[in-house]
Amino acid sequence: MEHYLDVSMLEPCEPMEQTLAAIEKLQPGDYLKVIHRREPHLIYPMLEKAGFSWRTDPGGPSEFQIYIWRRDDQEAESAVADLPG
Amino acid sequence: MLNTANLSLEQAPPISIPFRFFLTAPLFGLAAAMLLIWYGPEVMTSRWSPQALALTHLITLGFLALVMCGALLQMLPVLAGVPVPQVVLVGNLVHPLLSVGTLGLVIGFLLGSLQWLKFAVIALGAGFVIYILAVGVALWRVKQPNPTVTGMRMALMALGVTVLIGLTLASGLSGWGTLNYPFLYTNVHLVWGMLGWVALLLIGVSFQVVPMFQVTPEYPGWMRNLLPRSLLLGLAIWTTLYVTAFIDRTTLFWSFACLIIMLVGYIAFAVTTLMLQQKRRRKITDVTLLFWRVGIVAIPLSFMVWAIGRMFPKITVFVDLDMLLGVSMIFGVAIPLLNGMLYKIVPFLSWFHLQNRQLAMMCMSVQIPNMKQFMPDAPAIRQFWIYLAALVFTLAAVVVPDWLARPAAVLLAVSFGMLGYNLLQVVLRFREVSSELDQAATSNQDG
Repeated sequence: MEHYLDVSMLEPCEPMEQTLAAIEKLQPGDYLKVIHRREPHLIYPMLEKAGFSWRTDPGGPSEFQIYIWRRDDQEAESAVADLPG
Repeated sequence: MLNTANLSLEQAPPISIPFRFFLTAPLFGLAAAMLLIWYGPEVMTSRWSPQALALTHLITLGFLALVMCGALLQMLPVLAGVPVPQVVLVGNLVHPLLSVGTLGLVIGFLLGSLQWLKFAVIALGAGFVIYILAVGVALWRVKQPNPTVTGMRMALMALGVTVLIGLTLASGLSGWGTLNYPFLYTNVHLVWGMLGWVALLLIGVSFQVVPMFQVTPEYPGWMRNLLPRSLLLGLAIWTTLYVTAFIDRTTLFWSFACLIIMLVGYIAFAVTTLMLQQKRRRKITDVTLLFWRVGIVAIPLSFMVWAIGRMFPKITVFVDLDMLLGVSMIFGVAIPLLNGMLYKIVPFLSWFHLQNRQLAMMCMSVQIPNMKQFMPDAPAIRQFWIYLAALVFTLAAVVVPDWLARPAAVLLAVSFGMLGYNLLQVVLRFREVSSELDQAATSNQDG
């Protein structure tokens, strides 16, 4: 199941705070789709440490979509893989 | 696209490195204000007086350079994707060398002591050489420099020129070598310092932090790509024209014209920044934005007052225009821009470091405060109003120093004192939460 979070209007560090809070609540098979206006380089190492994987799609000149799922969640991973990229 | 870019804490220096630069800087600001309280109006009667030179360098080296150097060490891994080589060693050496060097220079000016000036030359020279080499290696390692990296490179070159001329001046004053054109050297030194190092770094960093922190659209591509390079080239051309005209005793018209063209570039940057801020997608005004609005608006205002005064000298006969320009550039532009940025950088670093530690330790029982909890708006906004009053009084004190120099100094002391106190509160809160994390980790291990 897809969870949606738009942080494009927020200033640092709220996008990171909200993203980290949202991924904590992911159930098996779930992934989070984050809409961001910049590529959030700083969050990647945090996701790594917290045991999550991600995929980043540039969706336009001022928009990025980041899909995040639990690293050991095969179902969520294949759901993200099936998304058009 | 799986992105594995790893711009992170592993590349950044320990948080104590930037914090010590940021916490020392307001103390130098406070010292500058104390100096103005002590000496009073005589500091503002001539920019050549030892007291004026001491005050200027307490601010430019003690406040501006410390904040900028500390911030750059910290921000390079994040904004440019490169670490500074041996960053801990560099921080451990540069911070004390710049701090004691600045004190030595100020004491040297005030006492007319050749020994203290020599000490300052050695300490500041060593500090800046180490800093420029380390940051230079990092900046020139970037394979595909973005406009921020280009701005930083230009700023670092300008810092090199500023330091070189500054050291030549201080060496001449201390009795090492002779100084043929002190007036010429001083003007070139301060133009490269303010319009080069300070302005180019602020412009380069703004290209990233204004859209990022103030949620605005991006700066136009032509400005990001062309402005820092053009301004550095302009500085080089201005220097050639100015030095040649000065030594040959011919007209300074062409160097003046070159400076005016460059000022148009700085004003274009200021106007663009204000327009971007008007297009903010998020309309909440915060304290950094208040400081930035003052600093950015002051850029065209200071230049216009100065240029008009130069063109019509009769109307400004009662005001030292150069002094007014210097005061407005330092107190009206550079200080508020850095002051505002500190209110973002220090709480952001605190939150970011603790958040990373928490995730690394998987210790979720400790609540990490967010940026606003680290630095609430109310005390910062109080400091903003005191700063604004201090700016108005300091500018007015250039016109009527006898009446206003000391009241301006008191306001400046309160402003810098509040800034230092507010930043200290963030750092203390950081340490408190950090030790909570340590305790939680220990009890997890025990359990």
